[in-house]
Amino acid sequence: MTIWIQASLLTLQANTKHLNVTLNGGVFIFAKLCYNIIMIYLDHAAATPVSSKVLKTMEPYFTDQFFNPSAAYLPAKKVAAEYEAAKGEIAHAIGAKATDLVITAGATEANNLAFSAVGDGKVLYLETEHDSVRKVAEQYDGKSIRVLSNGLIDMDDLKAKISDDVVLISVALANNEIGVIQPLSEIAGVIRDVKFDRLKRGVKTPLYLHSDASQALNLLDISVARLGVDLLTLNAAKVYGPKGVGALYVSHDVKLSPVSYGGGQEKGLRAGTENVPGVIGFAKAISEAKEHLNGNRKKYANLRKILLSEIKDYELVNKKHALDNFVVLCFDGIDAERLIYLLEDKGVYVSTGAACAASKGLKSHVLTALGLSDSQITGSLRLTLGETNDEEQIHEAAKLINEAVASEKARING
Amino acid sequence: MGKKVFVGMSGGVDSSVSALLLKEQGYDVTGVYMKNWSKDLPGMRCPWAEDLADAKRVAVKLGIPFEVWDFEDAYREKVVEYMLDEFKKGNTPNPDVMCNQEIKFKLFFEKAMERGADYIATGHYARVKDGQLLRAVDENKDQTYFLYRISNESLKHTLFPIGDMLKPDVKKLAEEKGLHNAYKKESMGVCFVGEVGMKDFLKEYIDIKPGEIREVETEKVLGYHEGAIFYTIGQRHGLYLSGISGEVNDGLPYYVVDKNLDKNIVYVSKNLNDSHIWTDKLELRDVFIRTDTVHSRHFATNGERVSEEPRNDGRDEACREWSVSVRLRHRAPLIPAKFNGESLFFENEIKRPASGQSAVLYDDEVCLGGGIIA
Repeated sequence: MTIWIQASLLTLQANTKHLNVTLNGGVFIFAKLCYNIIMIYLDHAAATPVSSKVLKTMEPYFTDQFFNPSAAYLPAKKVAAEYEAAKGEIAHAIGAKATDLVITAGATEANNLAFSAVGDGKVLYLETEHDSVRKVAEQYDGKSIRVLSNGLIDMDDLKAKISDDVVLISVALANNEIGVIQPLSEIAGVIRDVKFDRLKRGVKTPLYLHSDASQALNLLDISVARLGVDLLTLNAAKVYGPKGVGALYVSHDVKLSPVSYGGGQEKGLRAGTENVPGVIGFAKAISEAKEHLNGNRKKYANLRKILLSEIKDYELVNKKHALDNFVVLCFDGIDAERLIYLLEDKGVYVSTGAACAASKGLKSHVLTALGLSDSQITGSLRLTLGETNDEEQIHEAAKLINEAVASEKARING
Repeated sequence: MGKKVFVGMSGGVDSSVSALLLKEQGYDVTGVYMKNWSKDLPGMRCPWAEDLADAKRVAVKLGIPFEVWDFEDAYREKVVEYMLDEFKKGNTPNPDVMCNQEIKFKLFFEKAMERGADYIATGHYARVKDGQLLRAVDENKDQTYFLYRISNESLKHTLFPIGDMLKPDVKKLAEEKGLHNAYKKESMGVCFVGEVGMKDFLKEYIDIKPGEIREVETEKVLGYHEGAIFYTIGQRHGLYLSGISGEVNDGLPYYVVDKNLDKNIVYVSKNLNDSHIWTDKLELRDVFIRTDTVHSRHFATNGERVSEEPRNDGRDEACREWSVSVRLRHRAPLIPAKFNGESLFFENEIKRPASGQSAVLYDDEVCLGGGIIA
């Protein structure tokens, strides 16, 4: 059986010029096992494959090193130490310490935990936030801060809305649909001024800045001090780590309420036996990301350029301030969802926006916020580049996208 | 361009193949997903978004336009409210029959006609011939039980492209044509929440009202329930009576044989011969007789019997009765019976179906109409 699989893989490798097999630094075997159809994955903002190095690092903690870190004997203590070291590695990547992190089961939980800082206060959030912020903010009667047509925060609107009862302001570092990077340190500056003003007037209400950095972790050099955030959400699944693992950075003066009670793990904020392999994998993934940060940015900028020059008749939605791997194209008059299905048939996987919103048939609140018309929103396609892509793939993808758009135009014009 | 057809596409293989066949036959086809329900229920995630995506994926594959028509408000009003009202009266309604009558073959039909359609089409297993509704060729899948109340006006403009196919052939064709949903599990819309699922569904809308479960023969209280309206005659699940104390464990299950809604009592029995269960007569209400049938001479268009002669009540006069075949449940075997326009008479006793369910009448392959069991 094994021999047969290897043989067929080799055949595929021989027959398919796009099959990309790298046995080190990330194994990405993408082959559709029929007709030698290639797979070109352009949805890295939705999910990334776990790299081979990460997987290898995690493996022993499922088997030999399975011990509960809270157990008393030495082998368990060793696992506990390695878990703490992994947390330290994750924290180090954002300029923090292991004790500043609360490990969670992903970014959604981290965002939810961050909002527990609010108490009886009020919250503000950027109108383009992911649902895992928007829906929590709704629970706190949150008010949204407008964005400008380029997707950047409207600083005047922010300033106007910070009333004395606001405790938390949540602004994602990079948007999950258009990749626009927000000027967090500038926002932090505004917040600092408000804090000083409050203290001057004897107002005791604290004010915290939270940011979801899920999309940006492997593309920007992040330091909590430089960003000026009090709370920062991290996610392993977007940086070639395992799904279901995330973390919340919490600065010392923020008080949170536990999401679960039990054995007191994670500083008593999230009880439950530690996800040791997940955290070990996250640490490996994040250190890999840091190592390849500059190379990756250059690579994605180049691939982005190829897409933008070879694809025809579109309007670029995220012209400026976006992560290098985000390309959002608008084909006005076309239904981009139809393009997804046409392209999936050719092995090209793309998206129209947040995977969770798109699957519910909802109109993108992000593109709406930018002031796009309904037909422009319907015509918008999100391509997010990643480690699985190379130049050859991108040329091919551009060609296939052009063909799909042309066939839809032909169908509409009858 | 061929004639204009709007085909209801649910994301399942039947409606997908229907769209495919219409397209191949040269019709000008538009696929439509009818969004009737999107709310998750306890223990059941509503798969509407996935179903919609499946339907659209097939439409794209076929190169036909695709639209979503939102009937959620109408569905809640016409189907769900009706269902809740019926349950509150102690009946067990069939939401599918109502959905076809009020949504698919009314609102969907009307909107399609407004949009200039020559026909609507669905993936139902049924046939239309000379304006008559006929049973499907695939006896196993025949869905006329759910369609007997649809208007003749809509039927005149309806195509059932797979009505003369067998289900396995439909699947095979879907696979041959590369439709991804060829082997998709059959949809589980709200119409199919089933007996136990239905109770959870109802509990979302109807407050629980604790009451007694009594043995019908002895009036002995065996247990307690959350509301008599949640129970259906003949039901044997969800009683939680197994292993009750003092019980002779003979391994036989209790059935619901009767309920008293005023006193909120559910009566059960182990006796399969209990007189509540069996009957040789069923009274029908809201009888709907399909006018364009050969039997129309027997009935007026409103379903009332045409009184060619002074009407004589009672079943003694043979000339007032017509021999029909009756289906009392989807896929249940056809049973011969006499029908006098109001009641059905059976030669042998039958297990009494729950009130609110439909009795559908046939003359061979022709669906004559039917009524709601009183």
